[in-house]
Amino acid sequence: MSTVPTIDYEKIKGVHKVPLEELYTSGHRTCQGCESATTMRGFIKVAGPRTVVTGSTGCMYVANTSYLTTPWIVPWMHTQLGAGGSSAVGMAAGLRALKRKGKIKDEKINVINFSGDLGAGDMGIGGISAALQSDYDLLIIMYDNESAANTDIQATGLTTYGAQTTFTPPGTKHPIMQRRWKKNVAGMLAVGHRTCRYVATACATYPPTDYLNKVQKALNIGGPTFIHTYDPCPKGWDYHPRFSHDLGELGIKSGLYPLYEVVDGQVIYTYDARKSGKGRIPVKDFLTKQGRFDHLKEEHFTYIQKMVDEQWDEWEIPGVAPIKGILKARI
Amino acid sequence: MIKRVEVNYRGIFQKNLGKKIGSDIVMIASRMGQKAFSNGRYSDSPERNGIPCKYFAFVSPDLPEEELEAECGAKLEIDETNISVVLDDTMCKGVEPWGWHGIRPINEKVIKDGCLLVVSRKKPEELLKFIGKKPYNYRIAILDGDASLAGLWVNKDDLTHERILGGIAAIDPALISIEAVESYLMEKTKQKHRAEAARAAFESLRAEAKPPRVKLVTPKEGIDWPHEKPVLPKWFEMQEGAVVPAVKRGFEVGPRGQSRNAMFKRGTTKTQRPAVRFDLCTKCTLCWAECPDECFDPTKDGFYDIEYQYCVGCGKCAEICPVKECIVMVDELRFEDDSSPYEHWKKDSKDYIQWVEDKKGKDRVSYPFVTGKGITVTQGEVMPEGKIVGIKKTEEAEL
Repeated sequence: MSTVPTIDYEKIKGVHKVPLEELYTSGHRTCQGCESATTMRGFIKVAGPRTVVTGSTGCMYVANTSYLTTPWIVPWMHTQLGAGGSSAVGMAAGLRALKRKGKIKDEKINVINFSGDLGAGDMGIGGISAALQSDYDLLIIMYDNESAANTDIQATGLTTYGAQTTFTPPGTKHPIMQRRWKKNVAGMLAVGHRTCRYVATACATYPPTDYLNKVQKALNIGGPTFIHTYDPCPKGWDYHPRFSHDLGELGIKSGLYPLYEVVDGQVIYTYDARKSGKGRIPVKDFLTKQGRFDHLKEEHFTYIQKMVDEQWDEWEIPGVAPIKGILKARI
Repeated sequence: MIKRVEVNYRGIFQKNLGKKIGSDIVMIASRMGQKAFSNGRYSDSPERNGIPCKYFAFVSPDLPEEELEAECGAKLEIDETNISVVLDDTMCKGVEPWGWHGIRPINEKVIKDGCLLVVSRKKPEELLKFIGKKPYNYRIAILDGDASLAGLWVNKDDLTHERILGGIAAIDPALISIEAVESYLMEKTKQKHRAEAARAAFESLRAEAKPPRVKLVTPKEGIDWPHEKPVLPKWFEMQEGAVVPAVKRGFEVGPRGQSRNAMFKRGTTKTQRPAVRFDLCTKCTLCWAECPDECFDPTKDGFYDIEYQYCVGCGKCAEICPVKECIVMVDELRFEDDSSPYEHWKKDSKDYIQWVEDKKGKDRVSYPFVTGKGITVTQGEVMPEGKIVGIKKTEEAEL
């Protein structure tokens, strides 16, 4: 029997109630219209000043913490590309020990790791898996801009099928060089870590305050938690920076990015693309607005649409886990 | 003898363009029997959208290749340049690629009798309102046109590349001659219109051309540069473990109430800035909530002031604003200072509305989703005070 889980947290009811103070402030070297900067600004806004942040190597590390270009008001520490999970565990363990020994005041200090899709989803996934099995209170946020954006856009395991990157330049004979389907990291971590109480996917600006409340929940539920955010990247996706919000919104509405949270093993769709508005919009409306898909032909749009349809119509838990049901026959 | 050309460009938007110009100077100069070499400024990488960056080309008629490369290839930044190409005229307000560079004048490296070649619709006199003084004479040449902005993957083929080559040929025929430019373009592309575009740009910059587009700038012209170079701490002055001090916490409601990183303001990243009509504002907070650069300051009466020094002009606020003509993106060169628009409005609302409408003008320049696919210019309108009209969101209108 399922029970409705309760989380003791302060819900932000509407954009007018978002805390005004910035703890990740102006003066960083991110791109114009950087959605990952909005993601960063959001999580620290709700986490508050009693927070320590570790960041894996990636575009949000170089852009925000190269000498003189640091906008952080809270303590921030750089860690290696694959060490997101382990740095968070180490930080949380250190704080616990200091509190136990009475060296610092016994108060709630949030530990957050912020890693990119290459750092968290590809290279650091082992460390994050270990962190999610630990008993420390920590939050790992994977900002997913679908590429290694720091080194001028290389494909990662989370790059959308068919996208142009430095590693996957389309040719006339082979227009599709990114042949891997986007890795389902949030689903994988939710399925694989039974004692992890909270895993969610989010987008910084759509629906408004949805992401901020997810961070609140993750920080208050206790134990290790994980959030996967979809961050449109004007540089690598090749669109004009003013459309960062729109691209995130279109990706969610097309069903390519399912928004959900898994709380104590139960899935809650925080935005159900099937039921909201007029239902899922064609993925083509999302893809044609980006230069990285400029080489795609009708057959490729059809294929991507088919894959997204399958994700919503055939999966046992739509959008979350690619399990299509139980086969009775033996093969 | 080495002649140096630097290409100042907007990061990512003009990355491919800058690189193409640099490499083609090398190809053309080699065809003329010279030795040449081209590279990017290492410290610009990783590039970010809009950040001012540089590409270099070095040409020598007499040095062997090894010597030229040893002289120029191992340097992070050049000390002087014969020709400085500026692919976007808003960079004339100064360039700040990283915090440690500080905000530098665009003509910083131009030598005596050198030339600043700017792609612009403005006159040299208008640009000199922003450019720093030099102790010697140099020239400003204007190549008539709009800044060509594209993306990383979709190139915008609007002949800016060919026209710059023609322009350089007009400024210094010994570096690359127009005949060599034409023959190179014809041989490489087999397209006559490219060579013709280069020739037209060449003609437009010749001394006989009408109207004259090259201006001699004397030491009297230009402004006293207001920005100083940051002084970096010595290694023994750094904190233990090279820890960098955080920005000091500080926040109060009101203009400039938020503490910010004073070492890197990076306002030179913007080509356009948001102009706000506070009387049309519905206090929806979306501009503030969506701003990736935290440059909106909440005020006591629920409006949002803009700290222009930190604004990078991405245009997200203008895009998300639900009210017609409330936030509009305006050419950066129309503004002389970064003072608080909210304070101006509070002091004299009538004067402010007049001022902001003058700045806005009628033209609304906007880019499609994929930047490289052209510019649209639409006509805006002057809304009477307090007349709030909602707008449909872009994608809803398109779908």
